[in-house]
Amino acid sequence: MPFKYFGKINFTPYTKVDKFSDYLQRGKLMGTQCIKCGERYFPPRADCLKCMDNTFKWIEYSGKGTLHSFTKIYAAPKGFEDIAPYILGIVNLEEGGRLIAWIKDIPENEIKIDMKVKVVPRIFEEIPEIKLYYTIEKP
Amino acid sequence: MKVGIIGIGHGKFGNRSDATVQELAFEPFKEAIEDTDNLRREDIDALIVGSVPEYHMQRSLPGVVAEYVGVNPKSTWLTEAACASGSAAIRTAYMAIKSGVHDIVAVIGVQKMRELSTEEILALMGRVGDVQWESIFGTTFPGYYALYANRHMHEFGTTKEQMALVAVKNHFYGAMNPCAFFQKEVTKDRVLGSEDVATPVNVFDCCANADGAACVIMTNDKLAKKFNDTPIWFEGLGSASAQMSLLRRPNLVEIPSAVEAAKQAYAQAKVKPSDISVADVHDCFTIAEIMAYENLGFCPKGKGGKFIEEKQSYIGGKNPVNVDGGLKAKGHPVGATGVSMTTEIVKQLRGDAEKRQVPGAEIGLTHNVGGIGQYTFVHILRR
Amino acid sequence: MEFKGKTAIVTGGSIGIGATIAVELAREGANVAINYRKHDTEAKEVAKKIEKLGKTCLIIKADVTNYNHAEGMFKKVIEEFGGLDILVCNAGINIDRVIWKMSENDWDNVINVNLKGYFIYNKLAVAHFKEQRNGKIVNLTSINGLRGKFGQCNYSASKGGIIALTKALAKEVGKFNVNVNAVAPGMVMTEMAKNIAPEFLQKAIDETVLGRIATTEDIANVVIFLCSEKAKHITGEVIKVDGGQYI
Repeated sequence: MPFKYFGKINFTPYTKVDKFSDYLQRGKLMGTQCIKCGERYFPPRADCLKCMDNTFKWIEYSGKGTLHSFTKIYAAPKGFEDIAPYILGIVNLEEGGRLIAWIKDIPENEIKIDMKVKVVPRIFEEIPEIKLYYTIEKP
Repeated sequence: MKVGIIGIGHGKFGNRSDATVQELAFEPFKEAIEDTDNLRREDIDALIVGSVPEYHMQRSLPGVVAEYVGVNPKSTWLTEAACASGSAAIRTAYMAIKSGVHDIVAVIGVQKMRELSTEEILALMGRVGDVQWESIFGTTFPGYYALYANRHMHEFGTTKEQMALVAVKNHFYGAMNPCAFFQKEVTKDRVLGSEDVATPVNVFDCCANADGAACVIMTNDKLAKKFNDTPIWFEGLGSASAQMSLLRRPNLVEIPSAVEAAKQAYAQAKVKPSDISVADVHDCFTIAEIMAYENLGFCPKGKGGKFIEEKQSYIGGKNPVNVDGGLKAKGHPVGATGVSMTTEIVKQLRGDAEKRQVPGAEIGLTHNVGGIGQYTFVHILRR
Repeated sequence: MEFKGKTAIVTGGSIGIGATIAVELAREGANVAINYRKHDTEAKEVAKKIEKLGKTCLIIKADVTNYNHAEGMFKKVIEEFGGLDILVCNAGINIDRVIWKMSENDWDNVINVNLKGYFIYNKLAVAHFKEQRNGKIVNLTSINGLRGKFGQCNYSASKGGIIALTKALAKEVGKFNVNVNAVAPGMVMTEMAKNIAPEFLQKAIDETVLGRIATTEDIANVVIFLCSEKAKHITGEVIKVDGGQYI
């Protein structure tokens, strides 16, 4: 599953961590762990920030976390006008690491900073092409 | 050896569809030379251009600017650090002069942004985070600062009203600045009532994309007095970086590169925040100015909202900030901003700021942030 | 034991091709649910055969043209077996007439059972398969859906429609790791076929190049293959099992 299938518009089709999209299509949220020093990363990275080693293995994240901040985007960039307005949230994952994604399935008036949330792997359903993403939903 | 500024120039910021990027660059360059005492164009031995190239059809700006302003065959190159390109160019000039490689260096910050549509700019500037994991969801520059703002409001109780007061102040002073894009004052209600861009940031919380150019000419202390009675000296320079992505910052309520750069500048200049007579800070969004008060030590962490509420950043307050209108009223031609800030501080320290003069200004500070905080340059200047 | 731990639904699984498919799925380890409309005795026979193989068989009375019946059936299956992995749509009827003698009812009934019935069951299965990112659908069509048959405007239309439905659906659910394929039998020796006039049977045999007509096992084998891991890269495909009747 090529990495370029990840996101509504993908800007980095080639990456050392492209297996991420394979796992995502199978419904798994995966990060990386440095084999040498054990440091964990989400989003995944191939080269360890701490010890600079480049051997790593994939580890599964539950998707559970807390909402660190959010905003509702009204003025959308090119390519996203058709889904505006949309709500972006930053989630601190339980196992460490952080991500940004759309908040779906939580009514706007219930979105509160520091609330518990779950990040769920998703596939864009209503289009012929395969496009993968994840959303922030109620736990 | 000290490094000082001997000439400044500032073009009109705004919608400059009347000029190409090199024509824009010419205006403040000429003004800066005329601002000196008898500096000849041939005396300049290097030209550094601060600009962000992705906005222009013209490739390789320094080449075309150097040719048009007429400094060929002197050395020229680009310095880029997103919205802090202007200050990055000034720091490079400082290093060139301090090391003795060059003696008199002109720095031009220039940018044409309005060759692109609003959606294109939103997309381009939205890619200033981590394109691999963030832009795929449609992040925008205002969106990133909105994420800061929401967290700041959550942790410290900062309000939309306080953010709006920043815009009110900057437009108040911008109305007195003939080079500013926007020359009209605004009311708090106007700001609060403006359209949502990315909650809680409204249209009037955002600086405008603008075209413009500014120039400073710098030299060493041996030559400075030859070309200007009142050179303005660089006392402290700080420069730091932070994670590109908000996903990897320690927190979302401050810009760590700004805190670090400010620390370095204060240490080198041997001054405290309360010693700063006047400052130009990076108010790309109103929340950015509030965070700047805190990151520069003008007020304690979390008290930035109170600072503006108490009018402490007006002339007469503890630390006058952005009394030239800031990015908010001037507009933000990204490459030019850092140089524009510097020209304002120079004016203030010379006593030339007329209606906007901070009485007795002795020590000035510029705070120029790139992108969403991955670079900050803080410069402290003194008469 | 290709389908150990798996659950399958076979519509029209009480007699004929459907019954054999149900038993063969169970032989490979699946628990099976079949529906019947009126053949309750035959349905019970199928269940007995499956239980002898050590698996469980649910028999559910359901009219495939009835959406509520179908929803009820899926609900029962999920409750009883904990999930669903395979759907085989096989229930079908024919009412042969030349068009000038074909009534509206003759048309509607065949289209409703053969085509709409498949839409209903495919839709309900996909709702489940989408979530679990896994599933296999096999729709029984006919070579008379690939070619036209005299007296079968309604039947041919419905079987041709099944092929198009299969292909369109394959495009929609591929991203969820669901394969959708069709099997097109020619003439098959079922209990029903035994009632066909001998000269028509012979005509069918003459059409084949193998000189014989299919048994229900011949059809079931291909259905089993399409539901297996060996066929994981086949989707949107129609496989004829007709002894060369229509090449």
